[in-house]
Amino acid sequence: MKKNASAAARMPLFDRIFKPETVTLPNGHTVLRPRSRTPLIAAIVIFALALSVKVTGFDLTLIVKRASQLTKILGQIFQPDASFFDKVLPPLFDTIKMSILGSVVGCLLALPYAVAASANINRSKPLLAALRFLLNIVRTLPTLVIASICALVFGLGTFAGTVAIVVFTFGVVTKMLYESIETVNMGAFEALESAGANKFQAFWSAVFPQVLPTYLSHCLYSFEMNVRAASILGYVGAGGLGILIDERIGWRDYNGLGTVLLTLFVAVFVIENLSQFLRSKLS
Amino acid sequence: MQYADHILEKYESRPRKWWQYLLVALILALLLSWSASSITFKGLAAKGAEVAKGIFWGLVKPDMSMLLTTATDGVPYLLMETVCIAILGTVVGGILALPISFLASPKIMPRPVAFLFNALILLIRTLPSIVWALIWIRVTGPGAFCGVITQSICSIGMISKMYMTAIADLDTSILESLDASGCTAFQKVRYGIIPQLTPNIISTVIYRFDINIKDATTLGIVGAGGIGAALIQCINSRRWTMVGSFILAMIVLMLVIEFASTRIRAKLARGQ
Amino acid sequence: MIEFKHVSKTYPNGVKGLKDVSLKFEQGEFVAIIGLSGAGKSTLIRTINRMIDITEGELTVDGTDVMKLSGKALRRFRRKIGMIFQSFNLVTRATALKNVLTSMVPDMGFVRVLLGLFTKEQKLSALAALDKVGILDKAYIRCDQLSGGQQQRVALARTLNQNPSIILADEPVAALDPVTAHQVMADFKRINEEMGITILINIHHVDLALGYAQRVVGIRAGEIVYDGPASEVTQEVLDSIYNGSAVPQAGGN
Repeated sequence: MKKNASAAARMPLFDRIFKPETVTLPNGHTVLRPRSRTPLIAAIVIFALALSVKVTGFDLTLIVKRASQLTKILGQIFQPDASFFDKVLPPLFDTIKMSILGSVVGCLLALPYAVAASANINRSKPLLAALRFLLNIVRTLPTLVIASICALVFGLGTFAGTVAIVVFTFGVVTKMLYESIETVNMGAFEALESAGANKFQAFWSAVFPQVLPTYLSHCLYSFEMNVRAASILGYVGAGGLGILIDERIGWRDYNGLGTVLLTLFVAVFVIENLSQFLRSKLS
Repeated sequence: MQYADHILEKYESRPRKWWQYLLVALILALLLSWSASSITFKGLAAKGAEVAKGIFWGLVKPDMSMLLTTATDGVPYLLMETVCIAILGTVVGGILALPISFLASPKIMPRPVAFLFNALILLIRTLPSIVWALIWIRVTGPGAFCGVITQSICSIGMISKMYMTAIADLDTSILESLDASGCTAFQKVRYGIIPQLTPNIISTVIYRFDINIKDATTLGIVGAGGIGAALIQCINSRRWTMVGSFILAMIVLMLVIEFASTRIRAKLARGQ
Repeated sequence: MIEFKHVSKTYPNGVKGLKDVSLKFEQGEFVAIIGLSGAGKSTLIRTINRMIDITEGELTVDGTDVMKLSGKALRRFRRKIGMIFQSFNLVTRATALKNVLTSMVPDMGFVRVLLGLFTKEQKLSALAALDKVGILDKAYIRCDQLSGGQQQRVALARTLNQNPSIILADEPVAALDPVTAHQVMADFKRINEEMGITILINIHHVDLALGYAQRVVGIRAGEIVYDGPASEVTQEVLDSIYNGSAVPQAGGN
């Protein structure tokens, strides 16, 4: 009897509200069949969708009505203005430079922080919680928000953009890195500690070689993302292609916009493939 | 200490990789110096320190009245709008991605068709969502609806890609055994393919929802609805207590969604 | 000499790992510790280099009270005690030589550790250690390419390279096939005889324990139930260690 009561207490809340059905099998045994959760989930999803349609003013007829405008813009974008290409290159290089510098600095900063934020290396619970909390703040801030704050602090230009990329990279890479460190086999670390190494020596000689390929892969991955992220930073005045994109759209010069986007597309495509090639070499 | 000859010999035969390291270091140094060439620190803007201080105090002492109002310019409503944009954007994107991912699978479709749709997916994935939003604004006008359309389009890229992996990983041996038990084509799809794909599809959509929530907060900056527009305005007009309440609310929202999304996806992966 | 005086270990969750253990090991002994899983074999071995703290009693190694050590002194103390693990605990992505070199890391300065710079002398000594366990030819091969027996030998070379006076081995052959297990046990015996290193081995293969060790310690539920020469271990003694049937005063030391 007592066992039953404790089993009921361990049941999920859902099963306590909607009691499982008792089914008697032909051979006389009884089994409990939990009630299906599908209706409840479906009801929640439908409610959320209905609310969203209302709040966002979702209206597909608007798209149909304005379809001509869309085809006009797309048509012009797909006829890029070749003469504009010369003006695209300098900001494109700025974007790439910002991403390289930002990625390198961000990844370097992420390394010590990630080590300190790994539960299997750092045994102090309060310190760990504080480090994770701080990281979460940095990590959840959207890049554009960071960039606009940086633009206020450092003035308009590529430096602000680079700082924004550093902060963004730091957040992303630290999270991925400490998750990799936490899944590492700690055997070699233990062996080194038993041989008289201190925590730094044991980490650097036993754990770091294991995470190094993953770490480099994270760094390359963040660089890929950064080229894309950096291309829009100009929108808030933090340098790079974004200024040009904003300007072309403002002037409704969609042919020029086409040139910018095509260049960006090619650059991102090349960088992504290069980085993926390097990452496949790492593993 | 003296060592035996075979040990000295082994030492001499060690693989020498220093030139590889040197090459990598050289390339890195070149790239870095090239990047640093045009990025110069021009000192803090006149009020840089003040901005930093303002944000810090804004986070410590946020504007509580903003957090507790139900007005349409208050934090709760803007957050709800952001979530709504992400929900609709993800769902519409997830639905649009279904046919596209099948059309882009070279196993199912003829090569030229698959190639065309792969190019489309690539195009969607490479361009940042803000750029898409700026284009769509010209069509739909500013507002939350523009955000929904932007997210629907941008979600297609990643979701299709992940659907395609799920399709490629389909275990076709099950179809054989269903064949053996005399199932019709419809029954094979219903009981052989759909049960394999559903957990993947749901997991992908939830993951993308997590990303879209983060993305939706930025879309507002270009006028596509959600919390971003108000946040940027507050930053530019230096109302730090309001900035603080916006940022805190966003962090809480994102952490809650991220936590829930990770939990649900872990459950799906375990097969519940 | 290692001496346990009325040592007990209670884990934070209340589990008793060791109960009033008194033991003495002389320099150069080859001791096998046998018992069921969870009987306290690992706990016993790991208290010696203080990977686990004892909660009662006194434990001295060559006259040093282990529980009084901390920080730098503890790390220096651990340098002369080698440890071998069931799962080898190697950096599998690194070469055999690099793994042996890690045993030098505790004596190196910050910058050298950071950059992984080892001197020629250190590399030669590591190669010599690999030679002692007979796998010099595998020096530049990554450990994940080696067989289990070879990996355990790399671990043994790593330990020898720190010139220990004691080697603690925690189930060193549990992950190996029977033939390799015999080879590794023979390595231990040779090291014990040639270099006079004290060897304490946790093992649950009774045959291997009796075949290679001079002395056997039987442990059950944290208590020492047998301590005597390997040659005097009878079926009754084994029953008392593994089944818990009482055998009064088996062996004696």
